[in-house]
Amino acid sequence: MRIYVCEDRFEGILCGIYDAWASGLGHANVRVQVRRTQTLELFAEYTEVETDPAKAEKVASSVRRKLSEDIYVNLYKTAMSCAPDKADCMYRYLVRAFAAGPGIVQMYQDPAVMRVFEICRNVGNETHLLLQFIRFRQLPGNVLFAETEPKNYQLTLTAPHFADRLPDENWIIYEKNHGQAAVHEGGKGWFLARMGEKEAGRLRDRAGEDGYEDLWQTFFETIAIEERKNPLCQRGHLPLRYRGTMTEFQREAWNSRRKKERKDEIDVCIGHSRVGDLLPEDGGDLQRGTGGQADPAG
Amino acid sequence: MLIQENLTLQEKLRILSDAAKYDAACTSSGVDRRGQSGMTGNSSACGLCHSFAADGRCISLLKILMTNECVFDCKYCLNRASNDVVRAAFSPEEICTLTMEFYRRNYIEGLFLSSGVMKSPNHTMEQMYQALWKLRREYRFAGYIHVKAIPGADPRLIEAVGMLTDRMSVNLELPTGDGLRSLAPHKTRKTILTPMRQIQNGIRQDREIPLLQEHTAGFLEEGKARASVTGAGIQKAAGEQQDELLSWKKENAQPLWSQRKPAARMHVSEIGRRFVPAGQSTQMIIGATPENDYQVLSVAEALYHRYELKRVFYSAYIPINEDPLLPALPGGPPLLREHRLYQADWLLRYYGFQASELLDESRPNFNVLLDPKCDWALRHMEQFPVEINRAPYELLVRVPGIGVRSAGRIVQARRSARLEFADLKKIGVVLKRAVYFITCSGKMEYSGKLTEDTITSCLTWGDRKANWEISHQDSFRQLSLFDDFHMNVPPSMEDRFSVVTGQM
Repeated sequence: MRIYVCEDRFEGILCGIYDAWASGLGHANVRVQVRRTQTLELFAEYTEVETDPAKAEKVASSVRRKLSEDIYVNLYKTAMSCAPDKADCMYRYLVRAFAAGPGIVQMYQDPAVMRVFEICRNVGNETHLLLQFIRFRQLPGNVLFAETEPKNYQLTLTAPHFADRLPDENWIIYEKNHGQAAVHEGGKGWFLARMGEKEAGRLRDRAGEDGYEDLWQTFFETIAIEERKNPLCQRGHLPLRYRGTMTEFQREAWNSRRKKERKDEIDVCIGHSRVGDLLPEDGGDLQRGTGGQADPAG
Repeated sequence: MLIQENLTLQEKLRILSDAAKYDAACTSSGVDRRGQSGMTGNSSACGLCHSFAADGRCISLLKILMTNECVFDCKYCLNRASNDVVRAAFSPEEICTLTMEFYRRNYIEGLFLSSGVMKSPNHTMEQMYQALWKLRREYRFAGYIHVKAIPGADPRLIEAVGMLTDRMSVNLELPTGDGLRSLAPHKTRKTILTPMRQIQNGIRQDREIPLLQEHTAGFLEEGKARASVTGAGIQKAAGEQQDELLSWKKENAQPLWSQRKPAARMHVSEIGRRFVPAGQSTQMIIGATPENDYQVLSVAEALYHRYELKRVFYSAYIPINEDPLLPALPGGPPLLREHRLYQADWLLRYYGFQASELLDESRPNFNVLLDPKCDWALRHMEQFPVEINRAPYELLVRVPGIGVRSAGRIVQARRSARLEFADLKKIGVVLKRAVYFITCSGKMEYSGKLTEDTITSCLTWGDRKANWEISHQDSFRQLSLFDDFHMNVPPSMEDRFSVVTGQM
């Protein structure tokens, strides 16, 4: 078994697929894997793959020319996934696709097709939710800044939507867990950039008081009907993991954090007072202090 | 009635969104529009829900009233004239900035503007028109707008407002004319159905004659010109009898899915020249008046066929006011009933069902335990089981546990190879329900009795063990030494002593 280890990018994976295919070892004897996802195996030979745009372009163009645009889109979405086996899934999918033709997309009985379908569905669902749940904060200098924490790499899938929607705004969407950001300048296009927690923190600090955040929270609270309260239903539509970066849940989070802090403070106070009652004022140990009242001479 | 003048924006928003929250329709679907430089916003056909409130309902649009001042006195409404509540009103400017600033931060998909009736329906509609005109023309907003048409407003105003919005709706309020007479004395079936018919005609005309000429005149003038054309249908609607919806009988009507139009694709520059491109909707209150589910569903079906609505929304009645004419609901709002009506509504629109198939005069209400599709399937066991690899699409979507999407996937996938139960599960079929009604290559996975009672009990008891015990009554089970053989040791002398002395 030879395992081709490639970079975790669309182009990188396409190069891995190219090299594995070109090795001539037979599909059963090769595997493609992205860097740092799986533990090393004992009976396998590892080959590092250099990312070469020319190779990636060859694979991409032959998929688009000989197969279909749908298959290309599926491959791209799969490459954006967080699934550790995604590179190999793409490889198996292409093996089947080149054998069966463009009709492969709907052959759900095939395990390779099914797996890619599942991954794409997962990525697509998350993209859809992010388009809804991304929240921008206003920074001075007319910049909108959003933080997200998606499982899959979503920037290239969400940014086009916002570029179309807010063409004249300056905005930044930052993916915390991937250290990447999509940056858009009003009237121009968008591009991907690396962004660390440090830079993001600086941007976050610049966001001042924004009256509209407060208004939105007010709206969010009043629009719910008390008689119909249904947190389970709410959680089904809006999973908890998205709420950390959403404006409308910040007040609630702040309140509960505040409550917890206050409770801790009270606990600490109670703890102190109890120990303090027992301790004598001169700082002697417990035994002597309690005994001291009964026997002032001691 | 006094409108409070010195309220902050925050207080106004609190009052006017609180007053608008009982409106059910909050969708942003039905129109596909790309953005453009110089404008703000776009719209996607599927719609986006930007948040979900604590009651689990989606927040897609900024749902507010223009004002909660109202000269009408509908018994069920929070803002009725006889209620003593703080009255407030937004200025057009405030509506525009709120919408734009919320939209930029991706809080909302657009604006949902409704209003209490200030002075007269015409006056209110004019105010709304001004706000919308400002939003579209001055703020260059290209996102989604949904507007309520005020019953009794001039057709020309409705026409003009319709040019600036994506969706318009007129609330039917109550399913029957009798209910309306008793609870909403200022509204009549006529004032509700007339604008509904007008909007329908406008949309039709818009679809048939797209963009005849370059418009240079103001939109209000344009509205007037068009209104005279669509006016022909209005007279007809007004002349129709009171309960046209309830008494409507279908004569060789096509199933709804075949009549559906795809979402309108439009260019940004067509804003102001297309009339209500995303279609119209309506809503009715469930449980405030004594109609049964069959009547409600028949009315909805008639609305879909006769008025070509995109959606009918059902809103469980929530007691806000006390009035001898209103029902007391000790068990809370009829949420399950509302849920069943929505389920049936989807069956009408996407699954090819008819109201008379799901319910009839002898069974006028939905089953509490089973969803309408399961309920229907169980009463039509002669049509099942269905062979997955051969059945037509129309029959597949009628199987409980198979939806529109999974039926589509089945039809696609079975072209290349046979489907097995494991494949179905991955495709998205809910086997928990479907397993009683389908075969794969002639095999069935469920091995119990195929009778209505057995399957009903299997479907309603979620727990497998309980299901097994129900379908295998008086058959094998784990023996118990004490229950089955009555093995009890008689008490000894010491035991009797210890009972008396209390020493164990």
